[in-house]
Amino acid sequence: MSLSVIAVISRFLEEYRSSTSNKLKVIDAYLLYILLTGAFQFLYCLLVGTFPFNSFLSGFISSVGSFILAVCLRIQINPQNKGDFLSVSPERAFADFLFAHTVLHLVVVNFIG
Amino acid sequence: MEASGSFLHAILNLSLLVFVLALEAQALTPSHYLVASDVDRLQAVLSQPFTDLKSAYFSVVGLSKLGVSVADSNDACSFIKANVDSSSIEALFYAAEASQAISSCEIHVSNETRDSLHAAVSEDSTVSQIHQAVSALSSLGLPLASQEVVSALKARISKEDNVVAITLALQTASRLSQQAELGEILEEIEDLAARLDDLGGVYLQFEEGLEATALFVSAAYALSDHVDMEPPLKEDQVIQLVNSIFSKKSWDSLSEAFSVASAAAALSNNRFHKPVVVSAVGPATVSHSHPLLQLHVTDVLCQPLSSANVLVESATSVASKAAILSQTPFTLRDGIFELNFMASKPASGYYQFSVAVTGDSRLVANHVELKVKVSTKVAINNMDLSVVDKDQSIGTKTTRVEYPNKGKASFIADSHQNFAMTFQLVDETTGVELTPHQTFVRLHNQKTGQEVVFVAEPDSKNLYKFELDTAERKTEFDSISGTYALYLMVGDATLENPVLWNVADVVLKFPDEEAPSTVQSKNLYVPKPEIQHLFREPEKRPPTVLSNTFTALVLSPFLLLLILWFKLGANISNFSFSPSSVLFHVGHAAMLGLMYVYWTHLNMFQTLKYLAIIGSLTFLAGNRMLAQKAVKRTHEH
Repeated sequence: MSLSVIAVISRFLEEYRSSTSNKLKVIDAYLLYILLTGAFQFLYCLLVGTFPFNSFLSGFISSVGSFILAVCLRIQINPQNKGDFLSVSPERAFADFLFAHTVLHLVVVNFIG
Repeated sequence: MEASGSFLHAILNLSLLVFVLALEAQALTPSHYLVASDVDRLQAVLSQPFTDLKSAYFSVVGLSKLGVSVADSNDACSFIKANVDSSSIEALFYAAEASQAISSCEIHVSNETRDSLHAAVSEDSTVSQIHQAVSALSSLGLPLASQEVVSALKARISKEDNVVAITLALQTASRLSQQAELGEILEEIEDLAARLDDLGGVYLQFEEGLEATALFVSAAYALSDHVDMEPPLKEDQVIQLVNSIFSKKSWDSLSEAFSVASAAAALSNNRFHKPVVVSAVGPATVSHSHPLLQLHVTDVLCQPLSSANVLVESATSVASKAAILSQTPFTLRDGIFELNFMASKPASGYYQFSVAVTGDSRLVANHVELKVKVSTKVAINNMDLSVVDKDQSIGTKTTRVEYPNKGKASFIADSHQNFAMTFQLVDETTGVELTPHQTFVRLHNQKTGQEVVFVAEPDSKNLYKFELDTAERKTEFDSISGTYALYLMVGDATLENPVLWNVADVVLKFPDEEAPSTVQSKNLYVPKPEIQHLFREPEKRPPTVLSNTFTALVLSPFLLLLILWFKLGANISNFSFSPSSVLFHVGHAAMLGLMYVYWTHLNMFQTLKYLAIIGSLTFLAGNRMLAQKAVKRTHEH
């Protein structure tokens, strides 16, 4: 049983390494970074408590928001999805990504206290 | 069938009549009226020395309304004659009215003056001018054409539709011949009365004020008397007018005092309505030493109604609702109506008197309700003190103490005994048992200053009992044994002699006495312990080491990112140094810097301002840069 799980995972990783383009891998690395940052913040909150709550919330929401926006960017950039995003060029996707981040960071910095 | 119908009709009529009579019994009585000192004050205000003709008019005529003649009539007469200005209608009016009020003071006017007075009576003059001219002509004994006056007044009333003007018109009409057609002007009384404001069912007055209301009253009654027709004012309205006019006991101006005097004269001496003021002389209390109930029964000018009959319709006890008196007359002595109430031997307490004043059909508010108190002196009988053993094994020793003596021996009671007290409270004269409102037993420890008060309750036979269970009550005494002085306190509103009697001394022995702690006299007024303010304690923070560790931990994924990107081969080799891309990157960096500055220094509004500027630049540059990139990408493909 466990062997098949490991087999599935290694197969998945092989496929990933071979079939994904570099651009997407760059974004995936960024996603991993954001994920880890968010996870560490949450761990700290669990350990120490929620004081000051607003700071924790703003940091955590920043991580979550960034993750979501990066996922959107990845979806929009992926050439395999081109059919779904005819009107959105990769440059346009990146510009949207930057704009959304500006708004997100404005809110986050406001809330961080 | 018909008989039963008419029978039913009769029953309905009778019940309606009874209902109406019952309602009438609740008629209003004056709550504000002038007493003798107020009338004197009014007279004093009107007796001030004259400053000019107008004040002379107010003083002289006002005093005559109060039935008093001015101090020095010759002086007044010469003053008037010296100050009259024949060219002014107003001056002639004041002079004529004032001289008529003074006996043997006559003013002579020339023919021109008389003609000018007649000329003033026209539709072109104001009502005030017509009033002054007509009154002057009438007081000087000169003839006047009443019908002309009436038509002029009617014309002016329709143009000047205010309260003061119509009141003056009424006053003018009362000086005219009785043959003139005064019917329409008479109707104005009802119209004006409708304009009065009812305040809380107690006052009735014009919004123009006291003076307007008082002048209206005197004008309305003057005209009604002149034409001998009852004014359309209900009795309650008359009393409400009385309340309004006489609620003010000191007057701002001479004209206000004059108007009040006018109204008072009109209300005390007209053919139709005479309000009656019934008030008790001093407090309405009778007792054996003061057995007479004395009443002032006067008109609004505080003159006693000597010709009236004052009758007690009924006097009932408030407590027992028993009727003590019925249809008993008062006797008049020196302007005061008296009744010997104690002759009916009433028990002490409160009595509701219903008093009726009759003898004149004009009397208004002549049924008055009065609450009379009968007070008495209390005597304490059969005061028996005893110390009883709880298990009743040892017989009780009862000691009798007579008021106001003190029991000779002290009474000793410890925790196995009860101290008991019984007594009776009776009316000194009649011997009837009393239950006053306050019957307290007070125990006072002379050494410590402590005192404890209990209530003595009567049983069904009106015998008062008080029992002190030493063991049960030790908390009230703080278990402090010692000698307590025993006092009996008796008080009530209807008692003339409240009692504070030191009956005896009682020595109380309490079990488990603590080491005699000095009794903190429960002094409420010493400074209380100071409250220290607790400032808000800052929240508990985690140790700095932990925070720093986690800061490093949270920043560490960034390193991981850089390593991964390096491994993937991400690079900036394709960076084109075009102005738009440089500007874009600079702008973007500036925006991130702005975020940091926002966190540390700025507020939202300032940030938005800067963000708008930097953002638009970055947007334009970025747009250009990405477009170039897009072009490059499509060319590559």
